[in-house]
Amino acid sequence: MTGRKIPLSIINSLMPVILALLIGGIIITMIGQNPFTTYQVLFQQSLFTPQGLAYTLHGAAPLILTGLAIAITFKANIFNMGVEGQFVLGGFVAGIVALYCKSLPGPLAQFICLVAGIIGGMLFALVPALLKKYFRVNEMVVTLMLNYAMATVLEFLTTGIFRDNGSGYVTTPMIPKSVMFPRFGDTHITFFFVIVMLVFIIMYIVMKKSVLGYEMTAIGKNPGFAEATGMRVGNKIVTLMLISGALAGLGGAGYMLSDQYSYTLNFSANPGMGWDGMLVSLLGGHNPLGVLVAAVFYSALKNGSQDINIFTGVPQEIIAVIQSLLVLFLSVKFISENTHVFDRIRSFFRKKSSVKEE
Amino acid sequence: MNIVETVRLTKKFGDFVANNAISISVQSQEIRCIVGENGAGKTTLMNMLYGLLKPTSGEIFVKGKKVVFHSPADAISGGLGMVHQHFKLVPSLTIYENVLLGNEIVKSRFLINKKKEIESVRELIEKYKFDLDPLAKIEDLSIGERQRVEILKMLCRNVDILIFDEPTAVLTPQEVDKFIDSLKELRSNGKTIIVITHKLREVMELADHITVIRHGKVIGTVGKAETTETELAQMMVGRKVTLDVANHHKKIGDQKEIYRVNNLSVMNSYGRKVLRDISFSVKKGEIVGIAGVEGNGQSELIDSLTGLMGVKQGQIFLEDQEVTNFWPDQCRRNKIGIIPEDRFSQGLCATMTVADNSIAGYHRNQSIRHWSLLDYRKINALRDNYIEQYDIRVGNRNGEVGQLSGGNAQKLIIARELENKPVLLIACQPTRGVDIGSIEYIHTKIVHYRDSGNGVLLISSELSEIMALSDRILVMYKGKIVGCVNPEETSQEQIGLLMAGIYDEQGG
Repeated sequence: MTGRKIPLSIINSLMPVILALLIGGIIITMIGQNPFTTYQVLFQQSLFTPQGLAYTLHGAAPLILTGLAIAITFKANIFNMGVEGQFVLGGFVAGIVALYCKSLPGPLAQFICLVAGIIGGMLFALVPALLKKYFRVNEMVVTLMLNYAMATVLEFLTTGIFRDNGSGYVTTPMIPKSVMFPRFGDTHITFFFVIVMLVFIIMYIVMKKSVLGYEMTAIGKNPGFAEATGMRVGNKIVTLMLISGALAGLGGAGYMLSDQYSYTLNFSANPGMGWDGMLVSLLGGHNPLGVLVAAVFYSALKNGSQDINIFTGVPQEIIAVIQSLLVLFLSVKFISENTHVFDRIRSFFRKKSSVKEE
Repeated sequence: MNIVETVRLTKKFGDFVANNAISISVQSQEIRCIVGENGAGKTTLMNMLYGLLKPTSGEIFVKGKKVVFHSPADAISGGLGMVHQHFKLVPSLTIYENVLLGNEIVKSRFLINKKKEIESVRELIEKYKFDLDPLAKIEDLSIGERQRVEILKMLCRNVDILIFDEPTAVLTPQEVDKFIDSLKELRSNGKTIIVITHKLREVMELADHITVIRHGKVIGTVGKAETTETELAQMMVGRKVTLDVANHHKKIGDQKEIYRVNNLSVMNSYGRKVLRDISFSVKKGEIVGIAGVEGNGQSELIDSLTGLMGVKQGQIFLEDQEVTNFWPDQCRRNKIGIIPEDRFSQGLCATMTVADNSIAGYHRNQSIRHWSLLDYRKINALRDNYIEQYDIRVGNRNGEVGQLSGGNAQKLIIARELENKPVLLIACQPTRGVDIGSIEYIHTKIVHYRDSGNGVLLISSELSEIMALSDRILVMYKGKIVGCVNPEETSQEQIGLLMAGIYDEQGG
């Protein structure tokens, strides 16, 4: 980590954002609106008004956790694609446990619910981790597919055993107000955000300063080296997957207790907090600080979309366009970093053209 | 007549000049050796000749004509062939099939003329007295024979100039002799031969002329008769060097045993037995060398001793404690220092910093931690200590380890392992790909470590290294220890026979 390298890596991380906003701006211009005022409205409302900022931070809280959940595994070159499943399972478990904690004092009930969510997320992550350790089953495939299994199981539970029969749509019973995190004043922000910031600080220290963080980096960069220097890669993979699952589960549980009141089939929205977390982590370069900034930015983008609708003539769907562009540019970056395919294409054509010269 | 000539050939990689205005001319029908330390630019030069790299500037002339090769295929059709250090042969096919692969002799459009193929390969073999059966399968051949097949591949494509890249690295001493004979046979049949090597002893045996390269520049070209090994070494390094380590082999006698391996047998992941019933011990103040042609179980032995491969049969003891199947971290905690075989895939992580690498394997030591977090002030102090004490030349101490040359990277590993005060050092290929200066240094360090009352297990494919350092030599062949010799009472030839699996059953 040399002093000179940091600005370059920041520019590199910002590139997809800049390109997405640029193309988004072109589209806005094409529908006859001013991109500058649109972006100004977008960020002014979501970041520079107290209410808007509070709402943005509230929205960023679960994203920070899912982003960290992705970052900690991706950094070690393990691919936990099951953050989405771990997130919804954590939320579901917390939502059900909360129903049985009615009579307990609020903080204790919330604590129990969060722990239940964490355990849920960890159990989900344990399965692929053990399969990977003992049978070398590709964790990317297992976690990815388990997401769908999880979604279906939870749908079954929500429409059957745990359905709130008094409600007109498919949902679990409402969590009593006493168990939900109270809001600070008249903002949306709750105590959950404080918990997230604490977890963020802990994760920052773990990833940057701890022995585990050191081993994680080594495993990510060179597993053979890690094994030969005694890092017991198999065990570390299980540990990292469990931490990742715990973060995602905590995210789901906290989202439930700070925002949702009950588990509906639309709990994690579309594309889902876990997938958004992946975007956030990629945008933040799998660096904890980067994840924090990216989560806030991403939440601001989501949050500001309503304001665009209200204050300008641009339809709020433009935000979906910008998000998609972001995904597109991030995947280009991801692919080029992981497969060097562009370098190969470049050298392929260079060779071709040099043959022609002679 | 000069058959190959380069004129001010230069290759730059970014700011780094790998070859600087190299002008050499090779006469027809001579054996030319290109010698130089690792990183001197020999391979870059050959890759430019062979069309694998494009020169930044300068020209190449073959048979008096200016040529520009874009690929090895271009080079071969221009009459220039290369035999690589690692063979590219199909083990399940026969010799003639391999030789003519991609160059088949066909009857009609689609059918291979097997008879004619065998005949033409047999002719080639006889012409160069290669002593091979064209119908033998590659998998049944020894390494030396495989190398001759590789040469045949080039010969049947009618090349006049043959380039060999470190050809003797994988051969036993007897095979080296045979190889040298083959080269002379080729020369007498009108071929020109260029050999890249850093083994001076062989250079003196086979070369007509020798070109020395240092730091990408030609230092000089000399005839064999006018030079000596020492003089060449001096030209390569640029200063006086001692080729032999000042090592007084000691009679160990009744010193205490510190490491013992009993009846170790290991299967690899395909279920093949790769180590058979290995037993040996290392005493206090002793260097035990394990010699053998590469691929005879040395790598598996190292892996099983250092916890990278599971042991099903046999036991390993360090002093009186059983350490069988200890993980690498347990080995290190129990004072076994490990210099891994492959520097940049096991010993160091090229994309991590020098500081991070100098604690690898010992990163759980209390001394570099503050509470349970890594204390980078202490780690950086440790790094600086290693750099100064072991004379590690590093451009940017805060940079990545990948910037270090082979020798300096190896010194970092040695600093890390020795400074953690092990009682036993398992040193694998400690000087592979390392410059002569560092070799000297590393050998001195190992001997010094032994002299302070520790044991060393040295595994190396460099026979001269084993001979110079060891107090006792074990020879491995096909996963077994086939002999145990005293370096003062043996010769390279005797060990060579053992390495080739020729031994009398009672001996050892």
